Amino acid sequence: MNEPVNEKVSVVSSYNRMKGVIIPRKMRWQGKDYLIQKLSYYHKRRIGKETFHVFDVTDGTTDFRLVCNPENLHWTLEEVSDGLAH
Amino acid sequence: MDSLINRNTPKVMHIDLNSCFATVEQQAHSHLRGKPLVIAAYTSPNGCVVAPSIEAKTFGIKTGMTVRDARLLCPDVIVRDPDPVMIRDVHIKFRNITRDYSPNVVPKSIDEVVINFDGVLAIQRGLENIGYEIKKRFRKEIGEWISCNVGIGTNRFLAKLAASLHKPDGLDVLNHENLLDTYTSLKLTDLNGINTRFEARLNANGIFTPLQFFQATETALKKNVFKSIIGSQWYLRLRGFEVDDVQFSRKSYGQDFALGKFTSDVEVLSQYIMKLCEKMGRRLRRAGFVARGIHIGMIYDDWTYWHRGRKVTQPMFTTQDLFTKAMWVFNQQPIKKIVSKLSVSCYDLESSKESQQSLFDEYDKRKEIAQAIDKVNDKYGEFVITPALMMGMGDVILERIAFGAVKELEDIYC
Repeated sequence: MNEPVNEKVSVVSSYNRMKGVIIPRKMRWQGKDYLIQKLSYYHKRRIGKETFHVFDVTDGTTDFRLVCNPENLHWTLEEVSDGLAH
Repeated sequence: MDSLINRNTPKVMHIDLNSCFATVEQQAHSHLRGKPLVIAAYTSPNGCVVAPSIEAKTFGIKTGMTVRDARLLCPDVIVRDPDPVMIRDVHIKFRNITRDYSPNVVPKSIDEVVINFDGVLAIQRGLENIGYEIKKRFRKEIGEWISCNVGIGTNRFLAKLAASLHKPDGLDVLNHENLLDTYTSLKLTDLNGINTRFEARLNANGIFTPLQFFQATETALKKNVFKSIIGSQWYLRLRGFEVDDVQFSRKSYGQDFALGKFTSDVEVLSQYIMKLCEKMGRRLRRAGFVARGIHIGMIYDDWTYWHRGRKVTQPMFTTQDLFTKAMWVFNQQPIKKIVSKLSVSCYDLESSKESQQSLFDEYDKRKEIAQAIDKVNDKYGEFVITPALMMGMGDVILERIAFGAVKELEDIYC
């Protein structure tokens, strides 16, 4: 089941200068830390002239969609999903 | 008869992403991998399944079914909305990878491209090797869950047919050596472009298998079966000669909407028409056209259908122009019944730069206002400024990727 969240979260990220990519590594949401194991997919989303960076990540048990706004460098947790039908 | 087969080296490659919408969703959400998943236009029971995952297909779930039917076949099927932004992103990555091999890449739909290697140096490495390399690059550069079928042939038709032979993740080559054997193992409806109606037409002329179709004479196909030039095209197509390398110019722009709650309320329907006109108008203006024809189509809850198109003297450019004329046509319905699906389109397009200037200021002023509003929406996002009639509509009429349509792809590249 996937649940929309749309809450600001704290994120620790790393930047790889060789690959030129930023990967979120750790997220704190509602007082709990989630260690991100894998970046499943990354894409950009344009709304008007603004570009948002969308990271689909997993901590091994739950999938998260994190969105970074490069304008203010805020991170938003948009959605969580456990991969179940109901 | 053998001499009528194209014996040239196959130079056309067709690439088709497997269960594209579902696979992309599984790529982004690792917990959906290996599970029956359907992407549906709407997740409600009447929503139409746009793409079942490879796992869902094993339960017999097919594209075009309702979500209700999919759940009857597999109660634990996961149902998700499409994510148009992500699908477009995958399409662009997918197309960019293929462009590394040939400048002649034609997207056929959101999940299919045709690459022509004629005159391209890369062909010296062998198309099969290139096909395997592209598959590997998709997995590495787009995502490890992304798989595709690759078909290689002497024309687009055979390349597509080859891509459909071993799903998922296949790679096949069709040439003069294995073509007849392949036709022997297929049904008529396995051929791209032959649906049940064409099958019935072929059957009525004593053609029941692809091999019999192949063996039919050009005259029989042209004079008896298709009764047009289409018969000659099929004669050549089946033999591996290219007849499909044609591009059609855009003739119209249209939007449609399946109503969640069926209604005959003119006020509600006019809101929908306004939003459809706004979306259609944005695309019309972005492409630099004006339209001189407007068309409205409606499916009613009793499955009857009414549609009407009308030409207008003054070219339509602004959303307001389109809406006013659409409502004029809408009000020509003989009986106002409960509507379940609504479509609006505009046609008879001409360049907005070449359209004749009006003698009166009013039209040009409206045009400038529309362009200014479009600029604001381009900068701050869709529907930041909308007609008042659309107030409170929110996400009604969501963005959807046209299923299988090629022309819509131009919106992605702009």
